[in-house]
Amino acid sequence: MSATPPPVSLVDVATYLPEKRVPAQWYRRYSDEGDHLRDNPMFRPPDFRHHAAADESNVDMIERAAAALVARHGPDALAGVDVLLTHSQLPDLPIVGAGGEVAHRLGIAPEWIIDVHNGGCAAFVLMLKLARQLLAGGTARTALIAVAQNAAGKIFTQGQVRTLAQAAVPGDGAAVGLVALSEESPVLDVECRNYGNNAVDMTLAADPPRRWWEAGPGEGYVGFNEGKIIKVLARGNRQVPEVVRAVCERIGVKPGDLDLLVTNQPNRLLLRNWNEALGISPERHRDTFGECGNLFAAAIPVNFEAAVADGQIGAGDIVMMAGFAHAGDFAAAAAVQWGGRRK
Amino acid sequence: MTLPALEDIAAHRGSADPIPGLTRIETSPREKATPVIMEMIHAVYPHEQVFGDYCTVNDFIDCPPDELFDYLSDTRCLEEWTYSLRGFTPTDEQGLWLAYDRLGNETEIYTRTVANRDARTVDYHCAWDQGRHLWMIYLMRVVDAQVVFDKPGSVVLWTNCHHPFYDDNPYPEAAPPQRPVWVGDFWDMFGAGHLLELKNLKAIAEYRHRNGLPITPGWMR
Repeated sequence: MSATPPPVSLVDVATYLPEKRVPAQWYRRYSDEGDHLRDNPMFRPPDFRHHAAADESNVDMIERAAAALVARHGPDALAGVDVLLTHSQLPDLPIVGAGGEVAHRLGIAPEWIIDVHNGGCAAFVLMLKLARQLLAGGTARTALIAVAQNAAGKIFTQGQVRTLAQAAVPGDGAAVGLVALSEESPVLDVECRNYGNNAVDMTLAADPPRRWWEAGPGEGYVGFNEGKIIKVLARGNRQVPEVVRAVCERIGVKPGDLDLLVTNQPNRLLLRNWNEALGISPERHRDTFGECGNLFAAAIPVNFEAAVADGQIGAGDIVMMAGFAHAGDFAAAAAVQWGGRRK
Repeated sequence: MTLPALEDIAAHRGSADPIPGLTRIETSPREKATPVIMEMIHAVYPHEQVFGDYCTVNDFIDCPPDELFDYLSDTRCLEEWTYSLRGFTPTDEQGLWLAYDRLGNETEIYTRTVANRDARTVDYHCAWDQGRHLWMIYLMRVVDAQVVFDKPGSVVLWTNCHHPFYDDNPYPEAAPPQRPVWVGDFWDMFGAGHLLELKNLKAIAEYRHRNGLPITPGWMR
């Protein structure tokens, strides 16, 4: 006999964008005429992006996003957190994740600290699923899920890398989500799909070639040639609408009837293709690409926050969060019936 | 050493600048052409864009291409694999067949088949109601799957073009009185309908091939 699991809610989301706002112009100064990806729409630069400072860590950024949550919900907002999940696009150290230090900084003592390294640009959805499972399983009552991306101000401002077309696309940002056993803002359903065969297509390159941990003169960059870009584009075109439709079918809502879609935002092309494929108007597919660039895992919560902040969505609205990771090794979607923000 | 490509147009225009609409590597290098191509790639395409002016369906059929070509070259094969063409009989005119399209309530359909063995093309020139102007052209080509898929069998390519007569019957006087439909009313179904018929062709030809029966049956010989 199975009992209905208790509802788990995404109670609120808070975000942090670094103060340093960099215009596209900044990259044009360094543009390398020889880069064949320059005019490729996958890498057509957004107007602005935010850059984390060179010494600003994932932990710093998550702490700042969490501070916004505390500011809204009061000093006890995090007191009951017994699950902490963190995701760092570019880990501060390859050896140790951000979770332990984040807990220390926030003054919380969760029973569960998990650094979620997979999930890429859809990590927020993966962490939502993980938190939901832990909470529904009765092992915990409150989870803080945190994502940070600070590669833009670090990797993509280096002397060699900033001359590449790809350097102008990433932006930095962080977000936290508060997940709790409650009925106020229920996570209706989540779909996560792994495509392990695509994992090998995610590569870091350097000229001259070296392993990422080896010393050498070439700075590391994302090793996507045109052929690979088209492959990844085709995977994104297919995977994200598929996971969204899977969730829509289970919750009985037509994609076109969703009140809001927020996705990762690798480029304008995928944003266009996803709302076309799902029959969702661009207005209801909220993005911040022009202001923030590719935020990787932070895009979904930052875009969601943008829609909440200006009242685009309110209590009772159905929000779909979706994205795909890396070169297409993972895709996920989650539907939330947004409970509104407590004043 | 490059050939004098487009030299005549350059001479005619008095300029080496490309004519509008031309995308060649000399004037549109890869970094210029790639974004154009990327923009053209969508996750989904509207039905009208895919099936509006041209209706193309393709499939693999597991039987030898020459035998399939022979079968398709005989107009009477349409009695078997089409959805609704029945009762083929020869007319007084050499090569012109009369049948009935049951889609149109006993509508007469006239067919002349133009086949080319070397290219393995089979074109059915057809029309509803009259056999003087055969304007509905079904363009088919059988390709050796060994060449294109590295396996034995046939690939069938099939395209119809959206002739203006589909939208406006040019010979209304030839139509049976009170017929409520016109063949062009079904144009938006052609993608699905033709695929369904291609599946018929596949089922029939593969059954015969699998069971050692001739692809062209005895009654057609």
